Amino acid sequence: MTENLSDAVRKVLRLAVYTYRDQPRTVELLRRQLERLDEPLRVAIAGKVKAGKSTLLNALVGEAVAPTDAGECTRVVTWYRDGASPRITLYPKDGAPSPLPVVRRDGALTIDLGGTAAERVDRLVVDWPAQSLRGTTLIDTPGIASLSTDVARRTLRFLDPEDETPTEADAVLYLMRHLHVTDTEFLESFRDQGVARATAVNAVAVISRADEIGGGRVDAMLSARAIATRYRSEPALAGLCQNVVAVAGLLAHTGRTLRQAEFTALAALADAPRDELDAALLSADRFLAGDETRRALVHRFGLFGIRLATMLIRQGVRSPATLSTELVGRSGLADLQRVLHVQFAERRDLLKARSALLAMDRLLRAGGDDGRGLAAAVERILAGAHEFAELRLLGALRSGAVRLPQPLSTEAERLLGDSGAAPAVRLGLPAEAGPDDLRRTALSTLDRWRRHAENPMLSRRAADACRVLVRTCEGILSRSARPPSARRLAR
Amino acid sequence: MTALVRAVDLALDAISGYRRPDLETRLRQARARLLDEQVRVLVVGEFKQGKSMLVNGLVGAPVCPVFDDIATAVPTVVRYAESPSATLIRVPDPDGDPTGQRIERTPIALERLAEFASESGNPGNRERLGQIEVGLPRALLEGGLELVDTPGVGGLNSVHGAATMSALPSADAVLLVSDAAQEYTAPELEFLRQAIAVCPNVACVLTKTDLYPEWRTIAELDRGHLARAGIDAKLFTVSSTLRFEALRGGDSELNTESGYPPLLTYLRREVLGQADDLARRSTVHDVLAVTEQIAESLRAEESAQRNPEKAQELIGRLTTAEQRATGLKERSARWQQTLSDGVADLNADIDYDLRDRLREIMHEAEEALFRGDPAKIWDQFAPWVEQAVANAASANYVWATQRARWLANRVAEHFDEDRVHLLPSLRTEPSDALRSVRALSVRPGENFGLGRRLLTGFKGGYMGVLMFGMLGTLIGLSLLNPISVGAGVLLGGRSIGDERKRLVTRRQNDAKTALRRYIDDVTFRVGKDSRDMLRVVQRDLRDHFTAQAEQMKRSVQESLQAAQNSVKASKSERDARLAELSTELSRLDAVQRQARGLLQEKP
Repeated sequence: MTENLSDAVRKVLRLAVYTYRDQPRTVELLRRQLERLDEPLRVAIAGKVKAGKSTLLNALVGEAVAPTDAGECTRVVTWYRDGASPRITLYPKDGAPSPLPVVRRDGALTIDLGGTAAERVDRLVVDWPAQSLRGTTLIDTPGIASLSTDVARRTLRFLDPEDETPTEADAVLYLMRHLHVTDTEFLESFRDQGVARATAVNAVAVISRADEIGGGRVDAMLSARAIATRYRSEPALAGLCQNVVAVAGLLAHTGRTLRQAEFTALAALADAPRDELDAALLSADRFLAGDETRRALVHRFGLFGIRLATMLIRQGVRSPATLSTELVGRSGLADLQRVLHVQFAERRDLLKARSALLAMDRLLRAGGDDGRGLAAAVERILAGAHEFAELRLLGALRSGAVRLPQPLSTEAERLLGDSGAAPAVRLGLPAEAGPDDLRRTALSTLDRWRRHAENPMLSRRAADACRVLVRTCEGILSRSARPPSARRLAR
Repeated sequence: MTALVRAVDLALDAISGYRRPDLETRLRQARARLLDEQVRVLVVGEFKQGKSMLVNGLVGAPVCPVFDDIATAVPTVVRYAESPSATLIRVPDPDGDPTGQRIERTPIALERLAEFASESGNPGNRERLGQIEVGLPRALLEGGLELVDTPGVGGLNSVHGAATMSALPSADAVLLVSDAAQEYTAPELEFLRQAIAVCPNVACVLTKTDLYPEWRTIAELDRGHLARAGIDAKLFTVSSTLRFEALRGGDSELNTESGYPPLLTYLRREVLGQADDLARRSTVHDVLAVTEQIAESLRAEESAQRNPEKAQELIGRLTTAEQRATGLKERSARWQQTLSDGVADLNADIDYDLRDRLREIMHEAEEALFRGDPAKIWDQFAPWVEQAVANAASANYVWATQRARWLANRVAEHFDEDRVHLLPSLRTEPSDALRSVRALSVRPGENFGLGRRLLTGFKGGYMGVLMFGMLGTLIGLSLLNPISVGAGVLLGGRSIGDERKRLVTRRQNDAKTALRRYIDDVTFRVGKDSRDMLRVVQRDLRDHFTAQAEQMKRSVQESLQAAQNSVKASKSERDARLAELSTELSRLDAVQRQARGLLQEKP
């Protein structure tokens, strides 16, 4: 089904290229959209200043590719995508793109704009050979509510442009230290106005720097998770983003790139008498006062990281590999990756198709009469493709525009693929469930939703929602009817 | 402080024999002011920056609840008390019955504070608490220092933030708290810029330096931001965690490391010291002025007694002085005119400013309302309007206070030749007007449900069928023919559409009315509040200066009287009186000398 949708979108785009063949700018725009359909999903990392965007990006990539610093650091929108060899390209606002030298210092990439002022740069593109970038292109953005208003403006323009170019990102990770008013405003502005009206389907909120909550106590992550859970159930936020997760970016990044020397240093620390260590770890200054070589350690782990790592070593972690796994496990990175996988990667084609259609829609609105036939085609896809209906309904359910009584609402969200697109997940079955089980459950679910759809007590919009779900169940059934091998071939 | 009180007592004692109740009252007022002067320090900042921890660290006790999630929901005032205590202050409900409601004070146990002050115990302040007062026996607070922990909920530019903003003019000092995780953001600097305009002492506190190894860099960056913005404020770097460890273990080295001592010194020396200095100067000035007035008349008498031949000249000089004093007292005095003109101007300006701000909001809001169905956007619309209005009102109030102070200075300039500021303390209370405004709400609109839609459609349809059916019967068709039924369906659908449009228009009108009523209410209340504030300022200034003029006049009259009497006195009487006068004068001189000595010594 998804393949069909992509194909349909491609066809419309080609038709549009043909229709507008006498307008080179528009054709260029459309061609970019066409290319984009074949490229990896673009996930932007946005948030307030110093929310830990670059650190999280490094953690997700598993390498120090984004420069990080104590002060405000990222000033230009930077794309990180998979490439055969490391390469940095600078795209100025006007003029031809130029390559920048790739310099690594202490294993971290340093980017020097080479004399070009930040405000004259449209974006930087970093090609980097990394497994984790193969499926998604990550985009680092300058902080919002930054003091240098220009920096903030660059980000807002990138994520929520007001001219005809639609947003460049397919999905957004929104980082916050705690929920701020500007945060919700920002999420609101990102929720699109155009055709798909799929609110809250392409944004995930991340409580970053989770390790700093409560002054970096060893149980900070527990606290952070509790706060994330509270935010998740907050209706104001549920309508704006899909999920809220707590991540300690620094810990995750360090965990993923733990070096033997660091482990040795930590082990030595853990060997010291406990009182002594606790006293030294009271503050960063105290810790550094003993030994200047510890600076690198603090820089890499943070106080929380050191406290946690020494505690783990004392509890019997003996090798760097185990420590690395433990740290990453506790950092909440796995949660985030799972959410990314379920909510973005599995819906990759859908999100990309949606971005393309959004772009088309804006174009057509601005374009005037020539696009009439095209507008109909776009409308047909939007109305016809069940995936969009699902996405719309999911958005409506989350924002409260459509209300289903509990527990129907929870089941509906699951069926719509909120926690995973695989049929078993949608039906609420364990992943290893056999095809017979699937079929049986799908049938009974279908039956149930058919009855809900007929329920006279439900409002019209709710009944409509039930009908969409009936169609979803039918879709699952029709797919599970096919033998699995054939499905794999089709892909 | 006690030395000052003693000096005032001494002066009171010295003048007790002269039957001058006006001067005695003035000294008594100075004494009372000395005794209950509170120095209010507002602790403000975005949420989760460690404001409550800072207050706790300053007083060295866990009074304000601290929590990983959003904590403070209600402003907490910490001030001196003989024994630890806590009191809830509940404000009356604006929607409720206005009669029989007044501010309620409920004492509670200190341990139960978290239930009321924290967001988890009292979500959204459902207890409707205005503030919580905590009394603690601490040396720091004994000098009259009062720490106010403000809720950071919603950030600096929210309704809460606006409330904090309007409390600024009532504060003696503001501590802006931000943590060392990041440099200043735009809203924080904007807040600082406004704070510095109305508050004499503004300091920045960088917290959590224990957690961030790079705090020095951040502090440098922040100093750079402050310098660039032209804000002259001190920056302190503290760590509350270290402070608590230090207090627990009695470790003075750790205490130094926590960065608290400089902050405490700042509070004690600059904030308290400045308030103290002001109190000292005004008290000493009062003492000197009062004793000088008595001494003046004594001296006049003395010189008249000594040289009776020059008495006439002296009397002439004194008469001119009396005329001038009478002139100052008169309603037509220039300062009176400056004051009343200034207040009238100010009233007009402030009113215009408020109306202008609110009109802008109203225009924007109405435009938003007419773009769509108000029922759909109301949830977001109402908070937006309330927020914008709160910001406008607080900005207006802050500006009004600023202008009022400026006016007071102008009047004082007129009056005071020696340029020693005799201004009464023009401390305004934070505006409470917005809290008493009724919330912005609309009546629930009519529901255009299925039944009503059917009925409306049927009504329209019926008319269509009847109309075209009747026409049809003329050419021999039956009443129910395809044409008439089609027309019925069309007209039915149309009337449903019309009805829906009518309802939306009606809702728009309702919303518009509600908006206007709300803005009107705000204009009314906030305007009243500003006018009240101005009136109080005007009255204070008038009373203050009139009293001064009165005292001056009376003193001159006494001198005149004494001089005139001396002319008639005999030689022996004269000698006795001269001896008496010189002892009196030396007594007053001693009092004055002591008071002057107080000015030199620093606390």
